[in-house]
Amino acid sequence: MAQPTNSLEWIVYLAENYSNMFIQGTLLTLYISILGTILGFILGYVSGIIQDIQIRPADNPVKKLLLRIIKIIFTVYVELFRGTPMIVQAMIVYYGILQAGLHISAVAAGILVTVLNTGAYMAETVRAGINSVDIGQREGALAMGMSPMKTMLYVILPQVLRNILPEMGNTFLTNLKMTSVLNVIAVNELFMAAKTVGANYYKYFEAFLVIAIIYFVLCFIFGRLFKLLEKKLEGKKDYVLAVEYMDAQ
Amino acid sequence: MAESIISIEELSKSFGDHEVLRKIDISVKKGEVICIVGSSGSGKSTLLRCINRLEHQTSGKILYHGKEIRDIQKEINKYRSQVGMVFQSFNLFNNMTVLDNCMCCTRKVLHLSKEEAFDRAITHLKKVGMAPYIHAKPAQLSGGQKQRVAIARALCMNPEVLLFDEPTSALDPEMVGEVLNVMKELAETGLTMIIVTHEMAFARDVSTRTVFMDKGYIVEDDSPDVIFTNPKNPRTREFLSRYLAG
Repeated sequence: MAQPTNSLEWIVYLAENYSNMFIQGTLLTLYISILGTILGFILGYVSGIIQDIQIRPADNPVKKLLLRIIKIIFTVYVELFRGTPMIVQAMIVYYGILQAGLHISAVAAGILVTVLNTGAYMAETVRAGINSVDIGQREGALAMGMSPMKTMLYVILPQVLRNILPEMGNTFLTNLKMTSVLNVIAVNELFMAAKTVGANYYKYFEAFLVIAIIYFVLCFIFGRLFKLLEKKLEGKKDYVLAVEYMDAQ
Repeated sequence: MAESIISIEELSKSFGDHEVLRKIDISVKKGEVICIVGSSGSGKSTLLRCINRLEHQTSGKILYHGKEIRDIQKEINKYRSQVGMVFQSFNLFNNMTVLDNCMCCTRKVLHLSKEEAFDRAITHLKKVGMAPYIHAKPAQLSGGQKQRVAIARALCMNPEVLLFDEPTSALDPEMVGEVLNVMKELAETGLTMIIVTHEMAFARDVSTRTVFMDKGYIVEDDSPDVIFTNPKNPRTREFLSRYLAG
């Protein structure tokens, strides 16, 4: 194929000839963002739930002390990771671990940073989500003899999940795009692919347009999927009368 | 005299400097239907919430069959499963259907089998006339329907005592009737109930004992006949002047 003459031709040229790199980059971006987000969500939920546990005056001193310490640890973690840029976290985590004499791959470090970053933001979202559930829901469950843990699990969390699902979708889309900063620790995700391809011909504009399209399509698809999930969790608008019990009154 | 299920001794509760309950003494015997009346802010609801341990008293004792409930979560859970509560704002679980609302606690707290929990739920939902609505979510029901489901949910636990915290105050007049009817039927079955209410005619008809509270004190505690026809305390007389049989 002859050398392309305009931008449009360059885009097609790069996409065709470097499709392997772009596909590899896309897969790695998906891998890091999906795994990182799921683990980050779990971390966020755990952190948010721990912050919600009440320390009661009647608890034994060891339990009280332990709870306080755990709460402080999680508060410090959330503040640290919300207060620093992910790109800086990536550098510190990756080179920090290497300097400590431990071996870690750039991808593993990238996932770790994504998990920690997501967890910190989700912790706050979950905490706010728990607070937004009417106190009556909790009292209704407690008053029937449910333990605080079961109340959280069966009554509060399902409602939190439904309420914060849009925010969880946002977080995932953000992560999908934020993996691009991991190129600073040489993770071969999409951004890195575009940088490499673009450098070959000094065609950065065209190479980055290619991945912009890929990012957009991915975000669009996942955005729709989250919308579908939201609809599914909302449940049916109407209900069926159980006619078999209509007469027996 | 039958043994008291719940007896309350010198119970006081303050929120900061604000004393809501002052040295309350009251006991509840099996089969009694006690209506607590009084103006808003007199401490009626707080008393009920203290009995269910949703509020912790500042001082005084709550005895259940002569034993104080210790401040241990397990013991509180067990006690609460036997002392049910119906709330002013229903507090049905919004994420569950009517059926699941009625089965959730029997399954998770009493560990009944699915079949047992289902049978119980249907039995009590029939009692309150809500069995046809088992697939509905709380948001799809009217206030009166929600409250009837909440009553069925509480009954599923087979409670020894059922507490009602202004169960009709959030309902429009038409719905008040349907809920009061259900409660009346329950009273006739001999269920022990403590009811905080503003429905004076209901209190007069249904209660075996009426308690009048004012400013955190129990002012008068007597049969509804006495309270509603010839109260001894001038404050009771003043409060009930509109309802006194004349």
